[in-house]
Amino acid sequence: MLLQIDFKSGKPVYLQLVDQIRYAAASGGLRTGEPLPSIRPLAEELRVNRNTVAKAYAELENQGVIETIPGKGCFLKESNSPFTKSARAKILTKEIDEAVVAAHHLQVDRDAFLALVKERLDSFERKVKEKSDND
Amino acid sequence: MNTDSPIIEIQNLSRRYGKLDAVNGLSLTVRAGKCYGFFGRNGAGKTTTIKCLLNLLRPDSGSVRVFGLDPRTDEVAVKSRLAYVPDMVAFYPWMTVRDTLEYLASFRKHWNGDIEADLLKRFQLDPKQKASHLSKGQRTQLALIGAICPEPELLVLDEPTSGLDPIVRREFIETVIGAYQSGDPGRRTVFVSTHLISEFEGLIDEFTIIEQGRELLTMEADAARDRFRKIRARFAEMPKLNLAGALSVKTSGRELEILANGNSEQLLAELKTHSPEELRCEALSLEEIFVASDILKKAKA
Repeated sequence: MLLQIDFKSGKPVYLQLVDQIRYAAASGGLRTGEPLPSIRPLAEELRVNRNTVAKAYAELENQGVIETIPGKGCFLKESNSPFTKSARAKILTKEIDEAVVAAHHLQVDRDAFLALVKERLDSFERKVKEKSDND
Repeated sequence: MNTDSPIIEIQNLSRRYGKLDAVNGLSLTVRAGKCYGFFGRNGAGKTTTIKCLLNLLRPDSGSVRVFGLDPRTDEVAVKSRLAYVPDMVAFYPWMTVRDTLEYLASFRKHWNGDIEADLLKRFQLDPKQKASHLSKGQRTQLALIGAICPEPELLVLDEPTSGLDPIVRREFIETVIGAYQSGDPGRRTVFVSTHLISEFEGLIDEFTIIEQGRELLTMEADAARDRFRKIRARFAEMPKLNLAGALSVKTSGRELEILANGNSEQLLAELKTHSPEELRCEALSLEEIFVASDILKKAKA
């Protein structure tokens, strides 16, 4: 799992880390029981404040994505999502809304937007499948 | 110590050199555990401010508190809890790297020998080398080792990476993050003045831009990147637009570049009503915000 920070996105740095780790977890870039990079080397590598990485990990732990095992580090939790269906929908709605607003600004119409969503879903499923085939 | 009490508190600080107001009514507050950026052009008053923190200069008026103490009356108590890396580092030329570190350690109650050994290895500094034979980059590395080994509560950096090559600069910042910040986070505060803002971008929690001795802008870094946006638009034909709220507008043919100050949504909506061929919106980096601060000053006036 390689992480990257984009200061141009305008999104708080710790949230960028949260999103990327959640994406890695969902797409197989990070597997259940696999350790996350330790805070200090990751902060050094990304050249971001150590507290920013710590904040991202705390947020992921809050969301139930990772767990901290004292003395061993942070690990991806079992993939059974800790969220209820409505909580999951709520999180996703926020992110979809962002994409909808962006599409609106870029004047991508409803059909083109939905076609793009389908294409991305297909591509994501292909990736997950390839990962599991390779295992 | 109350953890909520600020590490640095400057109120209405003024310092004059003859008729020149180097610092003129500056106020800022640095909370514990933060990395605070202090940005300004050459001659804006950054070094003068830092010298007042260290009692190397006396303020003409206003107050300076470090750890809640007055550096003028509690100089030893203040200095024993902080470390300072200036832009021009000088050591006794006859001392070796080893002698220099022992000399620096002799002033400190606490010295972490493991960090010292780690960093000497990392920077590939030869302990037997004479300080006079070190390059500028190596002298800065030596100063950084001397500043980090006492594990001070406050690290004051004044243009620490100017004039260094990119690899040494990178290592410098990684060392501040790794070796310094890895201790107790509530007792690791950084106050850094720099021009090379982009390199420190990921490290900075909050910053102040100083201009002619006065505070121009103080913000948290994430909030600033959220507030200041650059919007680019291209139209088939340039329409008449109402962009009164924009910080600045640049046009070139059918293309527009707009700086937004907290009102990017509203500006995007206005642009969108004229069916742009292309529309992009991105955050300004801290460096771009600093460069745009001239525009900001005019907008404020």
